[in-house]
Amino acid sequence: MTDLARTPLHAEHLTLGGRMVPFAGYEMPVQYPDGTLAEYHAVRDGGAGLFDISHMGQVRVEGPGALDFLQYATTNDVARLDQGQVQYSALLNENGGFIDDITTYRLEENEFYLCVNAANRARDVAHLERLAEHFDVNITDESDHTTLLALQGAAAQEMLAPLVDGELDAIGYYRFAGMRVCDAPGLVSRTGYTGEDGFEIYLPNAAAVTVWRAILERGARPVGLAARDMLRTEMGYALYGHEISEDVTPVEARLMWITKLDKGDFLGREAVARRASEGPRQVLIGLRLTERGIPREGYAVFAGETPTGVVTSGMHSPTAGGVALAYVKPEHADAGELSVEIRNRRIPAERVKPPFVPSRVRK
Amino acid sequence: MTIPADLKYTKEHEWVRIEDDTATVSITDHAQEALGDIVFVELPEIGRAVAPGEAFAVVESVKAVSDVYAPVGGEIVEVNAELEGAPEKVNTDPYGAGWIAKIRMSGDTVELLSDDEYSTFLEE
Repeated sequence: MTDLARTPLHAEHLTLGGRMVPFAGYEMPVQYPDGTLAEYHAVRDGGAGLFDISHMGQVRVEGPGALDFLQYATTNDVARLDQGQVQYSALLNENGGFIDDITTYRLEENEFYLCVNAANRARDVAHLERLAEHFDVNITDESDHTTLLALQGAAAQEMLAPLVDGELDAIGYYRFAGMRVCDAPGLVSRTGYTGEDGFEIYLPNAAAVTVWRAILERGARPVGLAARDMLRTEMGYALYGHEISEDVTPVEARLMWITKLDKGDFLGREAVARRASEGPRQVLIGLRLTERGIPREGYAVFAGETPTGVVTSGMHSPTAGGVALAYVKPEHADAGELSVEIRNRRIPAERVKPPFVPSRVRK
Repeated sequence: MTIPADLKYTKEHEWVRIEDDTATVSITDHAQEALGDIVFVELPEIGRAVAPGEAFAVVESVKAVSDVYAPVGGEIVEVNAELEGAPEKVNTDPYGAGWIAKIRMSGDTVELLSDDEYSTFLEE
């Protein structure tokens, strides 16, 4: 794994016995010695899990043209974003396909912060810089200086509170505040990818080890990529490269709620509007198997005897059983007998609107 | 990681306990450790004939799907139905409560290793 990048917490993961795997160009822990299910339950069952997600990218966008620029470059309506607020959004290409899904933070009137997927970071930055030529705006890739931790679970606030000088309880869902974390300058948002209450904590790399250790000492369990994927799949959250890619638009991915066609022009708008009026070629749905089995990415989905689509993410949920996100033909999205083919057997599945387990984010 | 001396092993990381003409089969401690938390075991049907080296069961962990190959040829005469409700027994007790199936032996086997040979194989 010599060509892979490492986060500032690499040595901590090794000390904890993390099993390191290549992920999006980084060497990341897929699980720690007690196993993925123990990590999953720490997050779901009243405790909290701590995730190193420093592989993700952070891009600062600032200048007099920042708002206009982001209105053009992203799908959501940035004019509706208050200072201190976070917005789920996306970057599209001119065909309406996803370049990435992102979160947008409004730091100041003319200063924003984008959090992007690790695997797409270089492409996102190049894309943003190209678009920025027409706007009075500066783009800075701060990823390599920034550590990002996620603390997720019902106990997250109680564990983090003694380590910060700010009032966590005042931070609402998809809001953030700057504060000192273990005396380092940090940005704390009430966001996450698990469906539990919790925070994402942006820090300078120099503070990474101190904050990581301090949160673990408060009782959080370190959580690897495998449990993170279980937690997000149970929520039905899209993952780039699985549910979304350059080949699908927000119409197929059911992400029109972050795509504001009426806000004015943005890159990909015309293509998405056309697709919305023509109707999608496939739609993303949730499935739950009604017999034993685990649906996995790539498995075929059938409507009766007709092949209709493919599983994009699937798992065995400890509480919901075999669940999956899948693309199917629109005519099969709302009716008909669906099944997932597992090792040449068709296992019946019922249509379920995700999340597959109740979300407990603090709204 | 344990490798009991009274069992035989395969290079596909199954273990087999041969008593008279019956072979009890499951996966090794090394295999369960590598797979991680096992959440599903697909058992073979009783009465099914299996050839040596044939995939006859499936073990699924959170992230991976893994075939289990028959170390010996013969007929499936018993399966561990408890694994349907408690697949984690393959993790917690791979050489005991985590057994998968019993095969009444007839005919060939795949190459079977002693505990020492399997240990050496793992180190290679």
